[in-house]
Amino acid sequence: MTGYLELTGLHKRYGESIAVHDVSLAIGKGEAVALLGPSGCGKTTTLRMLAGLVDPDRGTIRVDGADITRLPAHRRNMGYVFQSYALFPHLSVARNIGFGLEERGVARGDITRRVGDALALVHLAGLERRRPRELSGGQQQRVALARALVVHPSVLLLDESLSNLDAKLRDAMRHEIRSIQKSLDITTLFVTHDQVEALTMCDRIAVMHRGRIAQIGTPEDIYERPAARFVAEFVGRANALAATRDGGGIRIWGAAQPMNDPGWPSFDILIRPQRMRLLPSAEPTGDAMRVEGRVLRRAFVGDRVEVLVEGPGGQLTVELPSGGTLPEEGTAIAVAWRPQDNLIFPPDAA
Amino acid sequence: MNTRLPLLLLPAAVFVLGIYAWPTLLLLRNAFNEVGPTGAMIPAWSLATLRDVFADGFTLELTRNSLLLSASATALALLLAYPLSLFLFRTNSRWRGPLAVVAILPMLVSGVVRVFGWLAILGDRGLVNSVLQSVGLISAPLKLVFNWTGVTIGLTESIMPYMTLALLAGFGRLDRTLEEAARSLGASPWRGFLRVTLPLSLPAIALAGGLGFVLSMSAYITPKLLGGGRVFVLATEIFEQATTNTNWPVSAVLAIYTLVLLLALLALAQLASRALAR
Ligand SMILES: Nc1ncnc2c1ncn2[C@@H]1O[C@H](COP(=O)(O)OP(=O)(O)O)[C@@H](O)[C@H]1O
Ligand SMILES: [Mg+2]
Repeated sequence: MTGYLELTGLHKRYGESIAVHDVSLAIGKGEAVALLGPSGCGKTTTLRMLAGLVDPDRGTIRVDGADITRLPAHRRNMGYVFQSYALFPHLSVARNIGFGLEERGVARGDITRRVGDALALVHLAGLERRRPRELSGGQQQRVALARALVVHPSVLLLDESLSNLDAKLRDAMRHEIRSIQKSLDITTLFVTHDQVEALTMCDRIAVMHRGRIAQIGTPEDIYERPAARFVAEFVGRANALAATRDGGGIRIWGAAQPMNDPGWPSFDILIRPQRMRLLPSAEPTGDAMRVEGRVLRRAFVGDRVEVLVEGPGGQLTVELPSGGTLPEEGTAIAVAWRPQDNLIFPPDAA
Repeated sequence: MNTRLPLLLLPAAVFVLGIYAWPTLLLLRNAFNEVGPTGAMIPAWSLATLRDVFADGFTLELTRNSLLLSASATALALLLAYPLSLFLFRTNSRWRGPLAVVAILPMLVSGVVRVFGWLAILGDRGLVNSVLQSVGLISAPLKLVFNWTGVTIGLTESIMPYMTLALLAGFGRLDRTLEEAARSLGASPWRGFLRVTLPLSLPAIALAGGLGFVLSMSAYITPKLLGGGRVFVLATEIFEQATTNTNWPVSAVLAIYTLVLLLALLALAQLASRALAR
């Protein structure tokens, strides 16, 4: 696949440790891709290589067909929103936003007009003369966004841009950034360790793990068809149940299961908590997967209820919509789910 | 705040009052005394010395020399200390520690020793002149000491360590990410330095400059020894009047005049630094 922004075999090591390991990624024009992964997996390093702030050891970066791998940062025309916002404390909001335009030699009048437009875009009209420290965190975030967008960058790069905001503001900004991104049709790479951000803000997600890309796909792909155990456990929650072979059949928590034998000596089966249901211990389940246990605890989480079940092989969590009748703590119970909801990965393929 | 604070300040207060405030008051008192025909000081409340000192054109020349020498030494030291401090502030190199020590080492060496070092380097038969002559670049030795040049060089060297420390302490607002932001917005490294790094370090420059200036103004050994008796500044004149001429009232008037000048300059540097930090 060819894309507007193309990374091929990007590699960066710091001393003994490899921060980014042969990362390849193609992003289409106007597409928003999330780089999702736990802290330290190499997301920021990847982004900094794109912006020209870190030199890759090998690999190439292309934008619209042109190789920019060795181009200095200030000639790349990329908009970078830093995690800390990096607003210039000695300049007003207007001069912060106009900085890139001034460097490009845009005429004074045009700068004023474009800065005004950019401020309106992020709903900060009227704050031109403020200094960054006179703004709230959310406003600073908007200024940083406006500053990166006003120069019409070829690519917008955002590094954990929402992580310093409180939960409510984060929700609002998520939608706002997404709608701006769509209306400007700007190619965007969005770094985050927050799966909700990745799932809601982007067309596709690239899950990163230990410097490598573990899977690239649409949010549905990533969630429903994780390509690796790491992806299944990092994006969304999953119960891991140890499965053993017994003759030709598979057993979980001692119970025989109606499923095909993948042929491995032992392995884990992962199931999303909301794909499981509870039923009375005596009730038959036909050809569903099923284990027996006892209700250990119930917890209300707003619109959902989490039921912790303990069985011979450990514990698992079942997530149900709230409102239904729930079994008492301590009662014996059966947990059932459909075989097609099993997520099975080869052993040791983390 | 807690009530013990004044108590904790007591030792320092006693010390400062004893060794600084009291002698300064004595100095102030001396300024109003008179000198008798025998040269002995006569207690009096007279403004005659004050009037004479400020009517004398030499006072103006001393002031001018002091200010000019201090200004050029401070400017030179800033040009040298600023890049050095910036490097020390940023580097992760393992040479950072040793380099920082080397940078402030001159502070730990006696002023007299340093001056003799400079004489060995800059004198008629010193290192610089020998090398230049043996290479054939010059035929007669350059006059590098016992004049304005020598004093400027000596002062520059002696204030540099203090200014390096002041700059390092004042670089608090510098942030690598801001320079990266400038670059991502299209500024070359040099433009980024001019538009971000330099403005953000102006408060540190003002503070270090003020400190260097004040230290140069009050320096005695360097202008005395490297000036070779040919460079006259306020500090040397104060000493001359007090010892050679034993004219304590003139010395006192000049000393207080210098003190007032320095306090005003320090206040100015402080104000500038605050204004620039806004
Ligand atoms: N300048 C650097 N020097 C040494 N190691 C670094 C540097 N930058 C990043 N690393 C290392 O590279 C790895 C990836 O870092 P980073 O890209 O910042 O991860 P993320 O943004 O996903 O949290 C980490 O182990 C980090 O310690
Ligand atoms: Mg990071």
